[in-house]
Amino acid sequence: MSNEDKLKGYSGPIKKKLEQLNIKIWDRIKITSDKDKFEGILLPRTEFDKPNFYYLKLDNGYNIGVEYQEDHKIEVIGYHEGKYQLPEKKVIYNEKKPNISLLGTGGTIASRLDYRTGAVLPAFTPAELFTAVPELEEICNLDTKIVFELLSEDMTPEKWQILGREVAHQINDNNVDGVVIAHGTDTMAFTGTALSLMLKDLPVPVVMVGSQRSSDRPSSDSAMNLIHAINVAAKSDIAEVLLCMAGSSNHKFGYIHRPGLVRKMHSSRRDTFKTIGSRPIGMVEKDKITIFETNYNKRSKNKRKKVKLDDKFDPRVGLIYHYPGIQPDIIENLIDNDYHGIVIAGTGLGHISKNLIEPCKKAISNNIAIVMTVQTLWGFTGLQVYERGRELLNIGIIPGHNLLPESAYVKLSWVLGHTRDLSEINKLMRENIAGEIFDREIYKGFLIFQGVEPWINDILTKI
Amino acid sequence: MSKWNYEKLGLKAGIEIHQELRTNSKLFCRCSPILTTEKPDFILQRNFRPVLGEMGEFDKAMLVEYQKGLKIQYEGFDNCTCSYEIDETPPFEIDKRSIEIGITLCLLLNMSLIKELHVCRKNYLDGSVPCGFQRTLIMGINGHIEINNKKYGINTLCIEEDAARKVSYNEKNKIITYRLDRLGIPLVEIVTDPDIKTPEEFKEVAFNLGLLLRSSGLVKRGLGTIRQDINVSIENGARVEIKGVQKLDWIKGLIDNEIERQLNLIKIKMEMEKRDLKESDFDTDIIDLSNIFKNTKFNYLKSALKKNMKVFGIKAPKMQGLLCFEILPKKRFGKEIAEKIKIITGLKGIIHSDEDLNKYNLTDTEISAIKEKLNILDNDAFIFLFGPEDKAKKSLEVVISRLKMALKGVPQETRRAKEDLTTEFIRELHGGKRLYPDTDTPPIIINDKMISEIKSNLPEYPWKIIDKIKSKFKLDEKTITDLILTQNLHLFEKVMNNYNVEPKLIAKTLLETIKAMHRDGIPVQNITDDHILSLFKALSEQKIAKEAINDVLKLMAQNPNKSLDKILKSLNLKSISEESLEEIIENVIENNKNLIKNKGEMAFKPLMGEIMKSVRGKIDGKKVSSLLKSKLSRYIMNNK
Repeated sequence: MSNEDKLKGYSGPIKKKLEQLNIKIWDRIKITSDKDKFEGILLPRTEFDKPNFYYLKLDNGYNIGVEYQEDHKIEVIGYHEGKYQLPEKKVIYNEKKPNISLLGTGGTIASRLDYRTGAVLPAFTPAELFTAVPELEEICNLDTKIVFELLSEDMTPEKWQILGREVAHQINDNNVDGVVIAHGTDTMAFTGTALSLMLKDLPVPVVMVGSQRSSDRPSSDSAMNLIHAINVAAKSDIAEVLLCMAGSSNHKFGYIHRPGLVRKMHSSRRDTFKTIGSRPIGMVEKDKITIFETNYNKRSKNKRKKVKLDDKFDPRVGLIYHYPGIQPDIIENLIDNDYHGIVIAGTGLGHISKNLIEPCKKAISNNIAIVMTVQTLWGFTGLQVYERGRELLNIGIIPGHNLLPESAYVKLSWVLGHTRDLSEINKLMRENIAGEIFDREIYKGFLIFQGVEPWINDILTKI
Repeated sequence: MSKWNYEKLGLKAGIEIHQELRTNSKLFCRCSPILTTEKPDFILQRNFRPVLGEMGEFDKAMLVEYQKGLKIQYEGFDNCTCSYEIDETPPFEIDKRSIEIGITLCLLLNMSLIKELHVCRKNYLDGSVPCGFQRTLIMGINGHIEINNKKYGINTLCIEEDAARKVSYNEKNKIITYRLDRLGIPLVEIVTDPDIKTPEEFKEVAFNLGLLLRSSGLVKRGLGTIRQDINVSIENGARVEIKGVQKLDWIKGLIDNEIERQLNLIKIKMEMEKRDLKESDFDTDIIDLSNIFKNTKFNYLKSALKKNMKVFGIKAPKMQGLLCFEILPKKRFGKEIAEKIKIITGLKGIIHSDEDLNKYNLTDTEISAIKEKLNILDNDAFIFLFGPEDKAKKSLEVVISRLKMALKGVPQETRRAKEDLTTEFIRELHGGKRLYPDTDTPPIIINDKMISEIKSNLPEYPWKIIDKIKSKFKLDEKTITDLILTQNLHLFEKVMNNYNVEPKLIAKTLLETIKAMHRDGIPVQNITDDHILSLFKALSEQKIAKEAINDVLKLMAQNPNKSLDKILKSLNLKSISEESLEEIIENVIENNKNLIKNKGEMAFKPLMGEIMKSVRGKIDGKKVSSLLKSKLSRYIMNNK
């Protein structure tokens, strides 16, 4: 243990006192004053906590903070180091089972307690997950690899590229029958969309999965989601990038979504992911996969078939949410900072206020592509309907159709990685590349109860 | 006379009290802390998995719980459960009132206050909390309470969330259904040190702690708001927690029976030691015995085999005679093992060699085949059972682990109290290993200002209140205690301070009348303090007589929004004057001449009845009786 680690999180007079007494974390100590007596294991403290408390674990397992008092007598009576780690499980290879590669990127699905912040941090190795979810053994041979240990809000287009290359490597060089990517849910749809654009002619499924309740909780959805995602990767014939997460608040089934159409719609519920404007591709309950949308890219029969990686991205794209009172300097700032593309989430059919028209014009004349999307999430841009919209079309704003603002952002980054020609960009943005955009919305595409009411699945299968 | 010499046995007992607090909201969300009898608005199903504790170890009891393989279902209600209870939203800020109550109770119990509170997760896999853990925080340690001149240590005081209510268990499908309304209601958990040495002391401590909680006015009243568990051990035994102690009167019987159980388990241990048994002796194979029973006459087994079930058995080396050892009257050791299996795997019943096997219609050939297959020698016992393969095997693993535990005597367990004052296994005793810091909530710091404010308004101790009321109102101790326990004391004092009414009458009304009405199905929950106050106001102003209390209260309960005047009118209760009473009495005497002629003074009772029919509640019954008495004697005298 380094000196820093010995008294992790302690500072000020407490640290000094502990140092003097040569006490380190995990020591079992007794703190006494004339009134009180506290006995327990000295725990590491978190950076954000108040400095004037000792943090103890009592014998009954409870944690308490004991306020610093100068006249406290402290003695060491033992040592017990806590190591929160599941044993890693070795699994025997079975050639009859499909080979799945599980890539770890961090996030709640692979998270545990962090003493520095007191929050949950990604730290499980995927191998530990096999101990936690022994069912995985039955489904396939799993090979795991940690690509990142990140909170998903720290993802970047550069990291999408690294991940895309890794997926291509697993498919092309290791010939796996499917790839599962454990990812934080916050930006899972972004990453999924990026992968779907990068990975052309996929021969096998690539499934994004995460969890909304960390796996250090008995009620975690991570085991169920993993079982579902791995089943989809190993057994389904949908050779696309997919996102597989809990379909309802019950621990029962998962929905299989297209990443470009799916959105995290609740900050904390398990069934947070909803396909917008359409229905999920299908659902999975344990190993039973039900398909709703039959038009998808099928798994290749040729085991050697390679995926084509097209991983060029241009990260200089901004995403702006329009609001009443918005000022032109928001756009001007992007022009001044040499952005190459802007996605706007406009009001209604895709509108922005009058005072943004000039800066938008200026941006476009600076060869910056502007793509309009809708804040309503459901529905299409309709720039030809009102005068304002026609004006926007006239100055060269690209209608994003039913692209979700986030998907438009990812797509524009990818398109700009290939061309800066505005008319080419216009064409590519409106073209369906990986199922992220469509030209007709079915009546029940506006199904905001997806997964919430038990009878919804009947509707989904019948559409 | 006690059955046991508790001192000699080294009896140590502690009490664990759980009591719901009186707050406006639940502990970590802003739902109302109410229970409902409505139909659920939604149903959810969940599964749970064991997780590591903070120190990176599994809690053994949790793993046993997981083996039960329960499916959990929840009933949710839009009026008292939100997305927090169903574990779909992180906790909101902790209810401040609950923290204040916690500090108050810590001060009353002379505890060391924890200045920085950390919310912990106490993991449970029984499904009683949808997130898989109860959020709990320790507020004080090392306190004491003095009862009958003896100090009892208070080990810890915690504030925590109440769990969901279990409503049903479908044994066949292993589906357990919980109702979510109670989940999250703030509770205080008070755990004493094992300082209690006799069941009588236990009852005293439990009673007085309960009294203290009620008299503080900080806790809820009513059925199910207080629950107490017994922790008990004897020398060479082990701590056993007994849950579900519904009445204080159960305590002695439960403790006495637990002592007997522990003593006999210790005897079994000693006998096993004498037979030189070691843990490793029980690492025996679980063997498929199904083939032996192809033509069995044991019908139950026969039909099980038809349903593709299997028979598995093990050898219990050198255990002959111990499986039928009685650990409680009519309860053999084998039965205790069977109970545990039933709870963990759901399989009912084991068959062992210490039983009369003929009662199952097993043939000698079958028995010797079992013996041969399991390699049973003279001193050995065997155990077998049948069921679906995985369950049967798992059940025998439970048997093996229970036999190993027998070598140590008494296993640490949580057990449920039954009506006959014996107990049955619920789960292994949970330890500190299942605790985990709650990463969703920051620590809460208690500052000295908050403490000193609470200190200056500390509620009085109940024993002091009793002394005060006793001298002030000349009421007996039992009645005052009952007023405290039913949380009616405050109302009682209010009536006494404002109106001129007999204290006994108020106490009787609050304690007995309303209770009796409740028994009769009258909705007494509608009766408010204001109702009671207006009733006694009318009584002290002699608008009504005390005989009318019942009728008035009944109408108040049934029509809580009706004014007292209207109620009196509808009861036709305008009090009558003494003159008109005289008139009524004279009329009744006049109309019953024959009766009086036949019965003489004995006619008093029927006459009184008839008069009361028309005057009840309108005038004091004592007046009626004395007036009737004098008029009747005069009439009899005059008509001799």
